[in-house]
Amino acid sequence: MAPPPSSYRPRKKRKFPSSFTGSNNSLIVETGGKASPAFPLVSFLWSARAGVSQWLVLPLILMAVGLFRWAVSLWGYSGFQVPPMHGDFEAQRHWMEITIHLPVSKWYLYDLQYWGLDYPPLTAYHSWLLGKLGSLFDPAWFALDASRGFEDPLLKVFMRGTVIASEYLIYIPAVVNFLRRYTRTQNVPVWSASIALVAILLQPATILIDHGHFQYNTVMLGLMVASLDAILAGRMLWACIFFVGALGFKQMALYYAPTMFAFLLGVCIFPKIRIVRLLCIALITSVAFAVLFVPLIVGVVGVDARETLAAAPQPPLLQLLPVEPDKQSVLYAVIFQLAQTIHRVFPFARGLFEDKVANAWCAIHTFYKLHRFEASLLQRMSLGATLASILTPCAIIFRHPRASLLLPALSSVAWGFFLFSFQVHEKSVLLPLLPMTLLLAGDGGLGKEVRAWVGWANILGSWTMYPLLARDELRVPYFVMTLLWAYLLGLPPTSLEIFRGRASLEDTTPGAELHVLTKLLHACFYLAMIAWHVLEAFVAAPPGKPDLWVVLNALIGAGGFGIAYLWCVSKLIQQCRRIDQKVVEEAEKKNQ
Amino acid sequence: MADLYPSLAQCAVVATAFKILLFPAYKSTDFEVHRNWLAITHSLPVQEWYYEKTSEWTLDYPPFFAAFEWVLSHAARYADPAMLVVNNLSYDSWQTVYFQRATVIVTELVLLFALSRFVKSVSQSNKHLAHIASLSIFLSPGLLIIDHIHFQYNGFLYGLLILSIVLARKQSTLLYSGIAFAVLLCLKHIYLYLALAYFVYLLRAYCLDPKSVFRPQFFNIIKLGVCVVGIFAVAFGPFASWGQLLQLKDRLFPFSRGLCHAYWAPNVWAMYSFADRALIPFAARLGLSVNREALASVTRGLVGDTSFAILPEVTKEHTFGLTFLFQLLPLIKLWIRPDWETFVGAITLCGYASFLFGWHVHEKAVLLIIIPFSLIALKDRRYFSAFRPLAVAGHVSLFPLLFTAGEFPIKTVYTTLWLVLFLYVFDQVAPVSEQRRVFVADRFSLLYLTFAIPLIVYCSVVHQLIFGLERYEFLPLMFMSSYSALGVVGSWVGFMVVYFTA
Repeated sequence: MAPPPSSYRPRKKRKFPSSFTGSNNSLIVETGGKASPAFPLVSFLWSARAGVSQWLVLPLILMAVGLFRWAVSLWGYSGFQVPPMHGDFEAQRHWMEITIHLPVSKWYLYDLQYWGLDYPPLTAYHSWLLGKLGSLFDPAWFALDASRGFEDPLLKVFMRGTVIASEYLIYIPAVVNFLRRYTRTQNVPVWSASIALVAILLQPATILIDHGHFQYNTVMLGLMVASLDAILAGRMLWACIFFVGALGFKQMALYYAPTMFAFLLGVCIFPKIRIVRLLCIALITSVAFAVLFVPLIVGVVGVDARETLAAAPQPPLLQLLPVEPDKQSVLYAVIFQLAQTIHRVFPFARGLFEDKVANAWCAIHTFYKLHRFEASLLQRMSLGATLASILTPCAIIFRHPRASLLLPALSSVAWGFFLFSFQVHEKSVLLPLLPMTLLLAGDGGLGKEVRAWVGWANILGSWTMYPLLARDELRVPYFVMTLLWAYLLGLPPTSLEIFRGRASLEDTTPGAELHVLTKLLHACFYLAMIAWHVLEAFVAAPPGKPDLWVVLNALIGAGGFGIAYLWCVSKLIQQCRRIDQKVVEEAEKKNQ
Repeated sequence: MADLYPSLAQCAVVATAFKILLFPAYKSTDFEVHRNWLAITHSLPVQEWYYEKTSEWTLDYPPFFAAFEWVLSHAARYADPAMLVVNNLSYDSWQTVYFQRATVIVTELVLLFALSRFVKSVSQSNKHLAHIASLSIFLSPGLLIIDHIHFQYNGFLYGLLILSIVLARKQSTLLYSGIAFAVLLCLKHIYLYLALAYFVYLLRAYCLDPKSVFRPQFFNIIKLGVCVVGIFAVAFGPFASWGQLLQLKDRLFPFSRGLCHAYWAPNVWAMYSFADRALIPFAARLGLSVNREALASVTRGLVGDTSFAILPEVTKEHTFGLTFLFQLLPLIKLWIRPDWETFVGAITLCGYASFLFGWHVHEKAVLLIIIPFSLIALKDRRYFSAFRPLAVAGHVSLFPLLFTAGEFPIKTVYTTLWLVLFLYVFDQVAPVSEQRRVFVADRFSLLYLTFAIPLIVYCSVVHQLIFGLERYEFLPLMFMSSYSALGVVGSWVGFMVVYFTA
């Protein structure tokens, strides 16, 4: 097998012993013969530079980030003391309640008005498991119907515990393994990898949404990272299985699907066509999906279940079917169950966007009302725009199916979806942010350029969720976690280090210094965010426009995310060019 | 080269972020105690401070602490005036919680300042050791559990103690050290436990000539005397002039309490009680007489006073005698060799003696040993060997302070993180001792450490699974405090050996 690709990097003066090669150089600043850390996070891991076992560093990191997660979870959650519907916390609890008490056939049918299950089957199984576990502690937490809106402090501890446990069983092992493999292919030293790991695991938006607002996004994100890890390891079939898992846990993983599809297809075609591989991938993916639905389908084969389904109103998808099977037959039950699941998971009937989301539609709507168009036209517009935005990255990753290009490709496609697709939720910003943040672990990922961009996008991301977090009484954790992350990575508003040029001129690595336009752009956004917080806190919105500040937030956010999308695409193109260049150089060397 | 990264300030930023996130965590009655004191000092004239008893949590700290609360109350007015009403019992609006928690964080800056002074006071070659010790104190799980969750102002008070210890390092600042300690005593009288060490050291090193005992430095004696008497006069003078000193004495020294505190601090008396309980089944066979009354006591040490079924009763006089005796031993050495390190060792041993043998000792008092000890734990490996079991036992013994489910992960994970990190780092950097190490002591501490984890697991999870929440509720507490007591006593014996052979 060919050696793993690594990006091009010009020759430069070695300043440190060989253990400090690679992206370490951007972590240590040398002034007057004394080495000092480039930003605070480096100094926390300063003593781990050399000679400290990963068996010590890793547990310490995991304990420290775990403490911050648990501390955030002491705060409020979505829908606390807001009857009658409460919020996401109640939704998740309610799913545990219905999955453990009802037969499988009723999962996607039971009282849909009150938080009917609308996530794919893996979430349902996950809820069932957690519900069973929780009932061991106290069955009252999940008593059918009687437990609605239950808000016992112990229940909160249990639910928070399940989020942490799910994360530590799925997301964190996946990220740790992925980083280990990814940094090895990128020739990044272990020490830098540890620093990147802390930065990634302390990503404020993910912690605030999962442990504050209350969701299980990290399970889906973790399965996605596991899939990436499998790709790096060259196990394409495992990658398919994990990705189906991610999709089966939360439909939002669809944001990643075009990239994964283009990549896996590309792997089978370039550099040479491999039909067997393609067939294997197709087969495994189908089998994985089938396995995902097996419990749901087995559950409806019984007579009672069939009767339930026969009496239930038909989902729209089933009505489209040309033939009408016998309502009592097994076939009808199976088709019904599948159609109902898909109908619940993909709510086509909802509007173009919900609430105020920092995406293109909401931004356009502010100036040019989109209500005037028909829903179907809007849907087609949205589809067209999304496709247009993801075409370039998908084409590149299809033509150059290299694992090192996956992260920028995934993030640009996810940004495309976030900006232009249908029914986007502000929490979906976690999806483009994850692959983008993983770039920190790449070659030069902790250098100024990538750190500045990734940091900026993350801070902007959690800032656009501020209105949501403020509703959940999570203002304090929002400020603490976001500022802490900015502080650790040496980013504004806590430090202007990233804007200052360094004295040493010998270092001409690309990305060592920020472009002046980048500085200007980032400075404007940071100032806008600060100004917005001041306005929001001290100035009441004008009487006619109560949502003014929220709209302003969405507008600035949409602009920023658009720029983040462009940056990811340009990063993808750059990296692709470098690899091409390297391939050409190597070919020349061989010829000589 | 000494790398001082992460710096104290960087750690303070991250620790502060964590502490702010702990605002909504469990808070003990001490929170209400301090709120009540804010209210008392703010709304009543000084004459009534020590007479007010609307709340059961009357003012029982010395006058300077009351004045400290009075100062805080002026800021509290802007946060939420309702917390300053004496009759608003158990008032905890979010403004009150944020305000009080924030004052703990802000006043902890004193500790940060004292620690940075400590690092500065050390010679260049040992700077990194002092830096690591400072970080271990600033990030101490003891302070996190007691101050930022349970609620007290120990960070501020221990900051003053460390400042005073650091000032004692140089002959030129000895006077300020004495002043700082006098102020500290007027803030919280628990530091009286350490007062003898200060007395001996200041007398020997400041009031007498360090070279000869027979040359008193009269000018120094006058300076120190005037300053200390002046401070106590400022603190207690007004109350004396109103004839309230007896009332203050009753408030500050409530002697009606039992030998062991509710949660059994891990001291000699905890082991004594444990031995007593363990002897009950064998009493008949050994022909010992059993005190039926004590057997009937259902709580068996959970509440207030323990009475013993078989072993002889312990009186206040016994505890005082033992405390005094074991404080006296290290002080003799301090008298003979009045240098700074011996002084810190003597403070530590005074802390040990009063914690191990004192009457009604609270488990929080273990910080009286841990914090001074941390300053010299890195002197060499022998010191570190004695410190290790103390660090484990002392912090683990604080766990019962937090009993709510939500705080369980925080106390255990934070303490584990601290123990793993700092015991590893200490182990890496502690210099080799010039003297021979005691083989047995090392094995003891290793054996001791390996027992910690299964015991914690048993006490926090397994016990409830076997016996349920109500039955034998005292068992885990008794196991924990006996185990911790063993560690504290072991480390005390170890440190005594190190101290006297140094």
